[in-house]
Amino acid sequence: MFLLWLRVAAVLYAAASVAAFPAVLYGRPGWRRIALPLAAGAFFFHFVSLTEMLVAAHHWAPVGTREVQSLLSISVCFAFLLIVAFYRTISFGIFALPLALLLALPTALGYDRGGTASPMAQSGWLFLHISTMLAAYAALFFSLLASLLYLLQERRLKQKNRIGFLTWLPPLDTLNRIGSSMLLIGFPFMTAGLLAGSLIAQHRVGAAYFLDPKILLSFAMWLIYLLMIFVQRSSGLRGRRAVYLSSFAFLVVLSVWAANQFSLVHRFAAP
Amino acid sequence: MKIVLVGVNHKTASIDLRERLAIAPSHLEQATRSLLALRGVREALILSTCNRVEILTCQEPQAAPIEEFLAAYFEIDPALVRPHLYEYQEEEAVRHLFRVASSLDSMVIGEPQILGQVKESYLAARSAGAVQSNLERLLQRTFTVAKRVRSETKIGSSPVSIASVAVELAHKIFGTLQNKKVFLVGAGQMSELAARHLVEHGAGTVFVANRTHERAEHLAGQFRGNAIRFEDLYATAGEADIIITSTGAPEPIFRKEHAQRFLHSRRGRPIFFIDIAVPRDVDPEINRLDGVFLYDIDDLQSVASAHAATRGKEAEMGEAMIEAEVAYYRRHVGSLSVVPEIVALQRVAEEIRRNELDRMLLRLDNRGEALSPAQQAAVEALARGLTNKLLHHPLKAIKAAARAGDAAAVEAIREALGLNLTGRYGFGDPEHDAATASSEGELRAAGESESLENEFPGLDSPDHPSEKGRSR
Repeated sequence: MFLLWLRVAAVLYAAASVAAFPAVLYGRPGWRRIALPLAAGAFFFHFVSLTEMLVAAHHWAPVGTREVQSLLSISVCFAFLLIVAFYRTISFGIFALPLALLLALPTALGYDRGGTASPMAQSGWLFLHISTMLAAYAALFFSLLASLLYLLQERRLKQKNRIGFLTWLPPLDTLNRIGSSMLLIGFPFMTAGLLAGSLIAQHRVGAAYFLDPKILLSFAMWLIYLLMIFVQRSSGLRGRRAVYLSSFAFLVVLSVWAANQFSLVHRFAAP
Repeated sequence: MKIVLVGVNHKTASIDLRERLAIAPSHLEQATRSLLALRGVREALILSTCNRVEILTCQEPQAAPIEEFLAAYFEIDPALVRPHLYEYQEEEAVRHLFRVASSLDSMVIGEPQILGQVKESYLAARSAGAVQSNLERLLQRTFTVAKRVRSETKIGSSPVSIASVAVELAHKIFGTLQNKKVFLVGAGQMSELAARHLVEHGAGTVFVANRTHERAEHLAGQFRGNAIRFEDLYATAGEADIIITSTGAPEPIFRKEHAQRFLHSRRGRPIFFIDIAVPRDVDPEINRLDGVFLYDIDDLQSVASAHAATRGKEAEMGEAMIEAEVAYYRRHVGSLSVVPEIVALQRVAEEIRRNELDRMLLRLDNRGEALSPAQQAAVEALARGLTNKLLHHPLKAIKAAARAGDAAAVEAIREALGLNLTGRYGFGDPEHDAATASSEGELRAAGESESLENEFPGLDSPDHPSEKGRSR
């Protein structure tokens, strides 16, 4: 049954994505009124589907690729809805909704690249670890997106280019606040994710686990994240420099994720 | 009576001449009274804005030229004005008025102020007693047309006046203007207007610095703001989010090092400089700094023009709507203008009916064969029925010809029916008002008003362009 709900969610994501483009790019309020309920509906059905999927699998941790993708997709949608609720801008929809659709689609089509549930998957800690890390990734993605859009908007305003394709960009201040708050929201999620992961590793592998280079890279990532927030808060950093900093942090996070996914130096289940 | 519009605008006259012909809103009523005193002018309205001075009159064919009024009122040599004047009559005048009020003839197409200015002129003209039935009908239609053009096209969607562009840019930088501090450096008219727009959109505290401190105090008082001594300029500027400069300083008063200092004290929060001064008050290099946005008068104007260009397509739609409205107005006025003919025809028919009936009754009476009251009533009803039936087709034809604006056909029907009314009705009808008014009264008394209303529906009728659009 979860597949049906996920397919409904995917259809709604697709419809919301289609509606978001005229709403954002051409400033059509009618399409905005369509896009938002569709996105909210997609989120609802996706949530139902994800819950059913995890219940059916008798574990709470999304361990398979499709489960992880599905959770990341719903996290992106949730972050988008949060931005709409707090900042009254739908502009991010043209990125977030297609991304959520792309992430949900392979699972909705029944495509599974594997990923079997280990005994660890029964653990609530693993669920906490994966879901909080995915939430942090989603927050970082939006932070980076906001920073890039800030750069574009700033460039437009400085070059006095008021007509053209990018008239839909939100105000600079809004972009700055979205970027900053997404960074702040992402940090506790990442901290919780790393803590949960460390506890699991400590329990399964012991202290040796912390000598693994990829684990050390993960903690370095967390430190960079912390440093970035500190710099931004203390110096009021914004504009180009803030974008460079966000981009750097996002790249580090991406590298760590890629290393964990593809490197053979370490596998989570390995002793 | 004909409708005439005479004027100068930004396309035909320089600002020097327009300034000489400009009439302050407070003097509009008195000027309209003077215009009304001109020989042959029955109704009048004066529209005076920074881009145009236009005089709309409903006048007799032999009225004195409007140039006479201009020469007398402004004490200006008519030869100086004549080459810059344009004159429209009748349908052309109606079209021009519709275009002006809809902002299709403005320097910045789609600017919203013009309709308010036309309304102000209308109120002044009404107060001067210069608006009667003709201009009342025309102006009410003008307001409706202008609103229609604005609401049914996107002509006013992007801001195109300097002040509104400044507000839009401020929104793009700060999101909301709530609690944003505005600093007016120099107290020019345009910077004051920009500040007023910003405050109307929610900006908070206003600081004003001017070399003449009294002027700064006066202006600050208008915004309930704070007057700053010019010497304290740099100490205050760092607090402001939006700085509008319009001093007459020969050198820039804000340089890169100032802006860097402001940014530091503001912890990187953006500053928006609006430099309206010529020569410029703000060093253009400032715009290179992260977090500083500088727009000078040329930038603002180019933004406004760029917006205006995007309105071109919408303006085309607006022009098409105006054409439809002018055609409709012409039909409407045309239909009204044959009312005297209709009344005359009915009067003639009624006269014939009455005379023939009287003659017949007299003859019968003389023969001692007088009709009973019931028989008399039946004969009268028969006669009335016959005349009505006989008049039906000629009346229908004359109404159709008038509605189609076919003056020749109206004239031919008039000739054929032997109607001896003088003048031509509609646009340029010398006795249109009086004749129409009395005819409408007679028709009403004769119980014909309802059928007339059916035949010549009001301006909100189903054959109106806007109604047609809706039904589609």
